Amino acid sequence: MSTGMRKVSDVLKHRSTLVLLSVPILLGAVGVHFFASSLVVSLYTYFCVNLILVLALQMFMGNSGILNLTHVGWVGIGAYVSSILSVPPAVKSMGVPNMYPALVELSLPIVPAIFIGGVVAAAIAAIIAWPLMRLSNAVGVITLFATLIVMHVVMTQWDNVTNGPRTFFGVPFFTTLWIALAGALVTLAAAHYFRESSLGLRLRASRDDRFAAYAMGVNVVQTRYFTFVLSAFVAGIGGGLWAHYITSFSPKAFYIVEIFMLLTMLVIGGAGSVSGAVAGTAIVTVLREVLRQVENTLSLSDMFNRDVYGLTELSMAVLMVIILIWRPGGVVGGREVAWPLLRARRRASEVASADVASDE
Amino acid sequence: MLKVIDLHASYGAITALRGVSLEVRQGELVALLGVNGAGKSTALKSISGVLRPIQGSIRLLDEEIANKKPEVILRKGISLVPEGREIFTGLTVEENLRLGAYTSYERTRYQNDLEEVFTLFPILKERFRQAGGLLSGGEQQQLAIARALMSHPKLLMLDEPSLGLSPTLVDQIFELIHSLRERGITILLVEQNAERALEIVDRVYLLKTGSLEFSGTPEELKSKLDIATVYFGGASDAEREVSL
Repeated sequence: MSTGMRKVSDVLKHRSTLVLLSVPILLGAVGVHFFASSLVVSLYTYFCVNLILVLALQMFMGNSGILNLTHVGWVGIGAYVSSILSVPPAVKSMGVPNMYPALVELSLPIVPAIFIGGVVAAAIAAIIAWPLMRLSNAVGVITLFATLIVMHVVMTQWDNVTNGPRTFFGVPFFTTLWIALAGALVTLAAAHYFRESSLGLRLRASRDDRFAAYAMGVNVVQTRYFTFVLSAFVAGIGGGLWAHYITSFSPKAFYIVEIFMLLTMLVIGGAGSVSGAVAGTAIVTVLREVLRQVENTLSLSDMFNRDVYGLTELSMAVLMVIILIWRPGGVVGGREVAWPLLRARRRASEVASADVASDE
Repeated sequence: MLKVIDLHASYGAITALRGVSLEVRQGELVALLGVNGAGKSTALKSISGVLRPIQGSIRLLDEEIANKKPEVILRKGISLVPEGREIFTGLTVEENLRLGAYTSYERTRYQNDLEEVFTLFPILKERFRQAGGLLSGGEQQQLAIARALMSHPKLLMLDEPSLGLSPTLVDQIFELIHSLRERGITILLVEQNAERALEIVDRVYLLKTGSLEFSGTPEELKSKLDIATVYFGGASDAEREVSL
């Protein structure tokens, strides 16, 4: 193959992943807008918002290999900050009676409010992550888990800011289908280019073999740190968009059940690639909705003489276990989809079988 | 080019190097030999900054680099191919090579470097898009060396490049090291396979339990010492035959 041809195929390869992922998402939104009920439009919007959150999680977790349980915490900070900044003072003084007067007065348009939410999440992440990024393996996961608990306690107790464990309501609706779609596509491109960037490559090298990466001159701690802050920024923005979609929420939304849902999406699709994040979010969003319908129907039908709530979470957990056993790399398997679809798939299966061979 | 003076290093309580001094001059291929545990790898790790020496001076082109971070030392021009071919098995060949070039990444230069790597290692061109883990042992070793070359090192350090390879591949690797030297690359080589190493190197340092036992040309080493006595803990030929 000549140099010229390789350059062409290079470009095709890198762009094709993005095209193969974003075009279906775009077409889906257009289709939903013209042909589907408002319920489906709402579901698709929710899918796009979730996609932003899962892609932000993939940026750090997928490339570094570190299970990031604090992720929902950054989503929460983004949600609270942008809500506090954008809810009209009159609504705030009623909805959050104990709020600091200075915060009540604040009133910004929604777009800068969401952006500031991202900045605040990133700034707090920048302080907290510095010591944490030195830790790996079990110690790293446990400290991140402890950090999530701290964040949750602050959110439930600081009622001068968050209204405590009670619902924060009155958030203006802003995140329409098109805004969520735009956010998802921008995040998709960002996550894709990040993975291929020098920083992303170094981070993936450190996931592969931390010590070899170190010997190659990769500053593992610094690489993780920058990515963590970047991921928190995107999560904060995503949290703002989420808040302006849901319009009322409580700290419960940023805790174990929610991080488990985001993790399920990422792990089922395959944490190692952006394609995996997209596939997993799509699969889990659809499945969850279907299961919820089944759950409601069964509960109403009195078939079991009792409610069957919890079926959705139970099925998701079982699905996650099955996927982890059957395909530890997720449905997509850690590689990106690329234009000659078949070749990409073959290569992925080769890698998978080689992994199995080396394990044995 | 590289001057190591009175280097001491340890792993916790275990002392691995006790005052080692050595020098590698521009364009030279120098071997660091010794049995297991003599401190060869420790010396390379200390020079590359992965391990912090306790005492001593390491100078690259008259600049002190002891106790600097690995990435700083890499940027200054010392590249290490670690023992056991630590390539990134989950990344493609292309990504491995790009990682080697990242300290001085520049697109056109990267493309030129790739072409040069492909002439030295044609197999890597064929395997360009495959995961590193799919390569055979010899191919992985070639990739590890190619990756180190991508950063245009002033000094290339190879830690046991022939380890675990079949005899034919060992031949290939030594030919390759020889050809790299012919291209003017300065190399510090650590090897267990002393006899093969002695065929291609300019000078030799021999380490024994953390101290320098000998330094000189391969010919001097051969005339002064029986290699076997070094490697078999001082047994003479006769004794060795008995024990075998």
